Amino acid sequence: MSIGYVPPPPSRFSVLSTSSISSDHFSPTNSSPRFSLASAPSINSTLVGSSKPSQPRQSIYDRPINKTRTAEVSLSAFSFLFSEMIQYTQKRVSGINDLERRLNALGYRVGLRVLELLAWRSESASKAPKRETRFLPALMFVHTQVWRAVFAKQADAIEKSVENPDEYMIVDNDPPLERHISVPRDMSTLSCSSFAAGIVEAVLDGLNFPARVTSHATPTAQYPHRVTILIKLEQEVLAREEVLK
Amino acid sequence: MSHHLFLLSPSDTPLYSLTHYSTKPAQAAAASPLSANLPTWSTSAFAGTLTALSGASSMTQSHYVQGSGVKMGGGQDRHVIQMIANASLDAIEDVMRRDGAMYLKSVDKFNEWTVSAFVTPGNMKFILLHESKNDEGIRLFFHDVWELYVKTALNAFHTAHSAIRSPVFDTRVRASAKKHL
Repeated sequence: MSIGYVPPPPSRFSVLSTSSISSDHFSPTNSSPRFSLASAPSINSTLVGSSKPSQPRQSIYDRPINKTRTAEVSLSAFSFLFSEMIQYTQKRVSGINDLERRLNALGYRVGLRVLELLAWRSESASKAPKRETRFLPALMFVHTQVWRAVFAKQADAIEKSVENPDEYMIVDNDPPLERHISVPRDMSTLSCSSFAAGIVEAVLDGLNFPARVTSHATPTAQYPHRVTILIKLEQEVLAREEVLK
Repeated sequence: MSHHLFLLSPSDTPLYSLTHYSTKPAQAAAASPLSANLPTWSTSAFAGTLTALSGASSMTQSHYVQGSGVKMGGGQDRHVIQMIANASLDAIEDVMRRDGAMYLKSVDKFNEWTVSAFVTPGNMKFILLHESKNDEGIRLFFHDVWELYVKTALNAFHTAHSAIRSPVFDTRVRASAKKHL
């Protein structure tokens, strides 16, 4: 599968500040970091299938979902898609909060699927498949498994808020989502990782830990793209954890 | 021998249901269903309560009395089955809080029906009403349904609340039911 690479004209990136996109971000040699998107097998087989129209159309139930080796998507292709998603969303919102909420909702749809798929991949071989019922293992699952499946690397840290017992944070020093994004100064509170926050929210929601998940840019000198995903748990989760202790 | 399968979304919307009549020889002769062991008056009393509860007036109690004579258990009214499945949700949610297993066998019992359930990590519930004990077969069946469900969920046009109408899904679930139940 090879896609002819056409560098998009800078004017397409209206959300991003055009001045800061240096061309080297888009050189093909720089595209070595890769996403592995959970639903990629279907994308692959669609592309392969279209080249052989003589084959009868496969249904989604015929496709294997355990293949991960060839299921990676190039970062440049995903960045392009993501920028289109942000532009599409930005045209339909009235403010930064609204934009983040919608990105979150888009991520939620991804997260639901990521959760089911990852669980299937890790547990389907076992005779007695397990779910996570405690919060901390579930958080570790998000930090390692989910991050590795979606961003091809682990998140960098998990932190627990000192002031509020119901707040947890996942820190990513260099989120692949934002690697090609530079937020204009007048929208400086926007964090495009709201998409990732949506994924986290869906996974936690599915595992029965309802929470409000938001994303905040917390740049440091060393890591200018550093992002903190803030998880604010519902009271019922804390109460349940207390009982299960 | 009949089996009833329900797939419920996290908000308990039914997405799919299936009634399967097993062709396998009923083991019921050896382990006769609960109703047969009980004195007739108790089941009919139950049935009477059920009739009242579900608001149906047409149901004849002879279904219960004949029990194993006609199509086993299949003579029961649809709404009663649905009510048993719905009532078992309480028991399932109780167990799934404590137990991390996805396959919850025999979580609930009602007359001759045993309820087994499978809870996916995304909180989808598969509920199966069955009459005889068949843990291994049910486990394999749930495993197949789980795979089919994951594939359905990966479809971008599927949402957590949309009913599953795919004919392929239906065929595959039926095939699996035929094989394992």
